[in-house]
Amino acid sequence: MQVWTKLFAKSPFKPLIKHAEVVLETVETLERALEAWENGDYENMRKYAKKVDDLEDFADKIKEEIRDSLSSKLFMPVDREDILRYLQRQDKIADAAENTAKWLLVRDPNDIPEEIKHEVKDLVIKMSQESIKAAKLVYDAIVQMDTVIESGFGEKEIEEEYRLIKEIGSVEHKIDELDTKFMEIIFKNSSKMDWGLGMYLLNIAKTLSGISDMAKDAAERIRLMMNK
Amino acid sequence: MIELLSNPWMFITIAVGLFMAWAIGANDAANSMSTAVGAGAITPKQAVLIAGVLEFIGAYLFGKSVTETVRKGIIDASQISDPNVIVYGSIAALLAASLWLLFASKFGLPVSTTHSIIGGIVGYGIAYAGTSIVNWSKMAQVVASWVLSPLFGAVVAFVIIKLVSKTILQQKNPIESAKKWAPVWIGLAFVVIGSMFHIKVMHGNSLLIALSRYGVTAGIGAFLISYALLKRNFQATDPYWGAEAIFRKVQVLTSAYVALSHGANDVANAIGPVAAVYAVATMGLTGMKVPVPRWILAMGGLGIAIGVATYGYKVMETVGKKITELTNTRGFSIDFSAATVVLIASWLGLPISTTHTVVGAVIGVGLARGVKAINKDIVKDIIISWFVTVPVAAILAGIMFKILMIVG
Repeated sequence: MQVWTKLFAKSPFKPLIKHAEVVLETVETLERALEAWENGDYENMRKYAKKVDDLEDFADKIKEEIRDSLSSKLFMPVDREDILRYLQRQDKIADAAENTAKWLLVRDPNDIPEEIKHEVKDLVIKMSQESIKAAKLVYDAIVQMDTVIESGFGEKEIEEEYRLIKEIGSVEHKIDELDTKFMEIIFKNSSKMDWGLGMYLLNIAKTLSGISDMAKDAAERIRLMMNK
Repeated sequence: MIELLSNPWMFITIAVGLFMAWAIGANDAANSMSTAVGAGAITPKQAVLIAGVLEFIGAYLFGKSVTETVRKGIIDASQISDPNVIVYGSIAALLAASLWLLFASKFGLPVSTTHSIIGGIVGYGIAYAGTSIVNWSKMAQVVASWVLSPLFGAVVAFVIIKLVSKTILQQKNPIESAKKWAPVWIGLAFVVIGSMFHIKVMHGNSLLIALSRYGVTAGIGAFLISYALLKRNFQATDPYWGAEAIFRKVQVLTSAYVALSHGANDVANAIGPVAAVYAVATMGLTGMKVPVPRWILAMGGLGIAIGVATYGYKVMETVGKKITELTNTRGFSIDFSAATVVLIASWLGLPISTTHTVVGAVIGVGLARGVKAINKDIVKDIIISWFVTVPVAAILAGIMFKILMIVG
């Protein structure tokens, strides 16, 4: 063993990016499940929902590996605590996607009232598209964080990072609006459905908006990494 | 030469001297080449080839033809009246230093070869004549260098990496800035390399001449060449990749220079004691300085080159695999800072160890948020190893010297 090889420890950013990739894939798979759900293709919906669960497990494994490798003996440009807190938030995005998948598996909703069916499904798909956007932005943001460090915390790169964080915030805001609209529709038409279906639909929307909430939290953590 | 080798003590000395040269090559090859290999500027194979050839050239062509019998005048050789003491002492010092270097290489501690041989010489000096023979003011300088080298290395590297970042990486358009600024940095690096070449390799002793005649010429030349080259054909889409690509080429040159100057300087650690024994064998006495026959210099250079090729190769391979986080701009900053500190130190007459300065520079770049992760524990180990080098080599050499005195 040579000192030069031990002096430089592995940077945690490559594994963080890898983890973000898996998180993004989890959310993308959830979108496929929701598309299948929209088309009433419940077999595929279940297949994808189960895959979301597997991917979430995989993300957890990567998270644990990163945790174990980030000993307090490392001297890094970014605080170890900040990295670990960020990682936890990033992992929660996948957890949120898994929550939605769980609700999807509860029942096959063939009984959504005809007059709101189209609108409800449309909103869910819109929300899932926005969630993907949020997860993708988080991935971009952590890649950009790597660039920020690469540039020695250059102002230009920090500005770009702030732009991404802001964008995540606006996506989250958009999903919240969609969620509110969704709830209004459900309650307006509550007499037309049983409580089970109502609860089922509301929770799908709620967990979907949870994905972007987690993305926003993760983005806030990146902001903290930069202001050392 | 033949009758020399028939002298058993001379033969043993040469063998031990070769062993020491080998240990220097094994231990230091990684230090001079590691940033270049780690940042992917050269492959381990290329590193070994460049280092081996240039260490030999540095030692053979630029090694001092008159060498100190006692490295850095650390003990007062005039107090030694018995030529046998020089013979046994030199063998003991060489053996102790090489064993310690071997041990350090095994455990990956970048210790200074100069300090190892100094420890060995102090050890036999004290075993022979007690502590009064040691030149304590010189010893104090050695101790001071443990603190000064890493400190200067860290401070300079911190400033350099900040400036390189500011002028290139943090600009609105890194590629355009790299085209403008990279030649400036390359030029500055060559001012240092040119001056160092005069002082360290050709053993000139005036910084003014070194700077004006060699440094400025090399600097301006390098500036113009790199400026022209970058203007003509430089296409890169990714600004950071573009900046790295420029510095990758520069790193090859800086590491080549480090190998050359290391050979020219550190060969004395192995052949100084050999030359002392040679002087005793041929003239029957020795002073503070003795002429070195060219074949001894060649032998030292060869020993270092073999050390680089055999053990150094293994080291380089691990370095190449393990340090993937070091970028070329940072590798360049580390090398450039270390060379600058060594230059300024030789001018001010401060005892600075290159190895220690490089380690300091790595830490400095880390403090400037320029290295993605540094292992704190290892830094601690390194610093401890610096402090124990002299005493360990001294105790080992003292014991061996006593044994040789009884046996011989």
